[in-house]
Amino acid sequence: MRTVGTTIDRVDGVKKVTGQAKYVDDIRMSRMLYAQVKRSPYAHAKILSIDTSEAEKLPGVKSVITGDYYKKRGGLYLEDKNFLAVGTAKYRGEAVAAVAAETLDIAKAAVELIKVEYEELPAVTNPVEGMKPDAPLIHPDLGTYKVAPIFHPVPGTNISHHYKLRKGDVDKGFAEADYVAEHTFYIPHVQHVPIEPHVAVAQYEADGKLTVWASCQSPFAVRQALATSFDIPLNKVRVISPYVGGGFGSKAGTTLEGIVIPLSMLNCGRPVKMTYTREEEFEDAYVRQGVYATLKTGVRKSDGKILAQKIEYVWDGGAYTEYGVNIVKAAGIACPGPYDIDNIWCDSYCVYTNHPVGGPYRGFGMCEIHFAIEQNLDMIAHEIGMSEVDIRRVNGLRAGGATATGQILEDCGYQDCLETVVKELEYDKPCEQVAPNLIRAKGIAGGWKSPSQPTDVASAAIIRMNEDGTFMLMTSGQDIGQGSDTVLTQIAAEVLDIDPSKITIRTGDTDHTPYEWQTVASRTTYCAGNAVKLAAEDAKNEILELAQIKFGCSKRDLELKDGYVVHKIHKDKKVPLSTFALGLTLPDASGIHGPLIGKGSFVVPNNVGYDQETGQSPKPVAFWTVGVNGAEVEVNTDTGEIRVLKMISCFDPGKVINPALYDAQVEGAMVQALGTALFEELMLKDGRILNRNFVDYKIPTADDMPELTVRVAEHEEPTGPYGARGIGEPVMVPGAPAIANAVANAIGCRFFRMPIRADDVLKALKEKKAQ
Amino acid sequence: MKQFNYLAPKSLPEALAFLAEHGDSAVVFNGGTDVVVRLRDNLIAPEYVIDIKKIPGLDTITFDEKTGLTIGACVTMNEIGANEFVQKYYPYLGKAALSVGSKQVRNRATCIGNIVNASPLADTGTPLLANDAVILAEGPEGKREIPIREFFIFVRKTALKKDEIVTAIRVPYHAGSEGVYTKISRRREVDLSTVCATVVRDGDDWRIAFGSVAPTPLRLVKTEELLRGKKLDGALIEQAAELAKTEVAPIDDVRASKEYRVTIVGLIVKRSLEALAK
Repeated sequence: MRTVGTTIDRVDGVKKVTGQAKYVDDIRMSRMLYAQVKRSPYAHAKILSIDTSEAEKLPGVKSVITGDYYKKRGGLYLEDKNFLAVGTAKYRGEAVAAVAAETLDIAKAAVELIKVEYEELPAVTNPVEGMKPDAPLIHPDLGTYKVAPIFHPVPGTNISHHYKLRKGDVDKGFAEADYVAEHTFYIPHVQHVPIEPHVAVAQYEADGKLTVWASCQSPFAVRQALATSFDIPLNKVRVISPYVGGGFGSKAGTTLEGIVIPLSMLNCGRPVKMTYTREEEFEDAYVRQGVYATLKTGVRKSDGKILAQKIEYVWDGGAYTEYGVNIVKAAGIACPGPYDIDNIWCDSYCVYTNHPVGGPYRGFGMCEIHFAIEQNLDMIAHEIGMSEVDIRRVNGLRAGGATATGQILEDCGYQDCLETVVKELEYDKPCEQVAPNLIRAKGIAGGWKSPSQPTDVASAAIIRMNEDGTFMLMTSGQDIGQGSDTVLTQIAAEVLDIDPSKITIRTGDTDHTPYEWQTVASRTTYCAGNAVKLAAEDAKNEILELAQIKFGCSKRDLELKDGYVVHKIHKDKKVPLSTFALGLTLPDASGIHGPLIGKGSFVVPNNVGYDQETGQSPKPVAFWTVGVNGAEVEVNTDTGEIRVLKMISCFDPGKVINPALYDAQVEGAMVQALGTALFEELMLKDGRILNRNFVDYKIPTADDMPELTVRVAEHEEPTGPYGARGIGEPVMVPGAPAIANAVANAIGCRFFRMPIRADDVLKALKEKKAQ
Repeated sequence: MKQFNYLAPKSLPEALAFLAEHGDSAVVFNGGTDVVVRLRDNLIAPEYVIDIKKIPGLDTITFDEKTGLTIGACVTMNEIGANEFVQKYYPYLGKAALSVGSKQVRNRATCIGNIVNASPLADTGTPLLANDAVILAEGPEGKREIPIREFFIFVRKTALKKDEIVTAIRVPYHAGSEGVYTKISRRREVDLSTVCATVVRDGDDWRIAFGSVAPTPLRLVKTEELLRGKKLDGALIEQAAELAKTEVAPIDDVRASKEYRVTIVGLIVKRSLEALAK
């Protein structure tokens, strides 16, 4: 192939490394106002009164609003969220009032002048407690909320979604098993910490047109949410997402857009801007939900085959779960990991708590549940005297195997990935005492993920030929750092057989670029990629239609070659593509057809919903991306410090479009996983975040980078563009449990909670010694 | 951050005059790596910020065997780490200075700022404390020398008066003395100390200082007493490590538990003594 499968430089690279890429915070407009927010100091409190009079008197303050200004609820899957608290504040840091002022300093000063009277209410700070019948209700009107039909809130409780999966007969499976074990794990909240915090500018103009510039992953989803929330037709809302400085899921939905919009409406014509501080990013952007994961597993000891598994995931959804309910569903569909188990019973609950709002985070639930699934597997292997590799060989999915929803996989690279990692890591070599206080050991973990999207979500692309035979490619799959601009350009270039430099890609403007559901779910290469491929094929077909007139032959004898239409047999007969840019000029000087435009629309083929009682479906998701990670760690038994020395990834990405971008994605994912395994946790106490800054919320530095190895086992995806599958999230999934398994192998202590801190290691060693 | 007046005096008397006039509403601004953070978080809201970096003569390090090392108020952490005298006679002080923040932060941050900020976990606190450093301050009544052990009073409280400016720190020189600096942190780079410590051996004399285990950096006087004049052996080292644990009073916080810190104190004493016994 010409460019697919080849590394080319990032198409956005020069602008980014020279600092010339413009992000939303770079936008400066004349007469711009600045917004700031008053936040609740309580985890759960009734708002008795808000006095904004002093703030309004401050010179330079233009508007002050509270939840009373706009009471309509909104949300992606469950309409449970107000942009400004109405009636009660449901988490500490929730916006209760907002100010627009001539300068940022004035806006900040005005916020201090807003007086809010609260009556503190009992708070729910643990989802397991929150499920109990006597728990304080966070959304007493849950039963009246509008909800997408695949989600099942339980009115009168804090449960905003109960996902059920019932496959086979678990009782029978457990009865046949001669070894049964149950283990519970807890995975705390973490935050995405994109380099660029959330930022938005809104401008409402006299003709009723609302323009929003937002650092967001999904301009069309944001447009839809805002149009619904503010009752504006879609043609009157324009969402523009310029360069995005990292999202990791946190910029998938709406956050502060809902605050700047009403303020811009009150100040017609004047743009209103708000940029989060890092502290606000921690307290009022999405966080990854915490979860309690309990796995009860029945095993046949003779060969390690898992006969039955009963799984319960209890998710700490936070104060609003409009997006979080889908993570809970995704975890349910994927509940046992990439293992072929006949009898599964799973309940996955989304529970409201008075914690920061949970939302999509790279992995969409998978990183969390695999921390449990993969450690559980190792524990069972040890308990029945089997190797960690063999238990995965026996149970790991292979072609012809069945997923938890009963989907039969035509192909699956899991076993290849496992063998590659075992070999590369030299997993058979035992752990090593390298000094009296230093032990080195290895661990492995598998993982999988599918795009967690509704079955019928759509993507579109348009490609236009310029007069000189170059092209403009338009999609709304957003490059949030993952490299999609480059990959989509390569896909179009491959179809048209031109150099990728001949194509300029434009994304992220709902008035001008075509529809894309969202840039989430590791779907862009696959979904937007398919739309781009279809658009380029459409353009190619148009070119050939015109070329057959020009050549006076059938189009099947023509091909596109390096910027030309070439006759397949008489290769000297060729014309440049530009010949057809504006249609074709005939010998009599008349023109036909007009400017050349290709269009592509894509929706996942044969994707069907699942049974709401059993979760069963022959194909509820577009594809499954599977893989395995290995890690080698060194544990200091004096200080408890863990160093990750090596990490190895082998995934089945289908076809890799751009190898360097693939490697970068995988390396970034492994380091992000390392961060969650060893450092990251949103430390919450009574709803308060104790570490809402980089002083005490640690992410890995260059010094923490292990030696990273990236391998692939390419089993092409039949429905993917050139066989490609999505990989951005899946490749992060097994990282943390691989590290946890390595630590357990090093010191013989199991950690049921992450992160695994030096403090925890010493405590565990002490307890082990005492036994 | 509230608005303030920025003053940049060109001489020490000018600075002291400003401070005498506005002492209650002024903050002395050096590298700024603590002050700016506190300004941004509205923990302080001074009317005047007095930048001392324009005052000539505060940015030098000098050394002679009689006086010891003198670190000017505006010398940065990176400058301390790179200084030949520090590397030769006080390598553990250099190590401590280079363990602060990131390289960018160390290009601004000063050792004197670190001391005046009086955080319990000041990274350069323990090497100075273990050397009985002397703080050189100047105020309207003239120059004053404050022994570092009297300088730290509590968390962010020092013996410095509002109208005084620290001009330098003097670190005495003891021929043949050796020391070990240890920093235990959650992450090796760009992190605060969970526990930090300096152990100095000066002939038969031992000086042990710990940070982040009490409201101020702390000397472990009983442990020092136990070791004084004795020949180090395995049993004595164990005994010292156990005694050291009883001399500290750390707290539980987001960085570590009290129990972890106590364990680490014993470990650092043991490791440091073993290293210096060789």
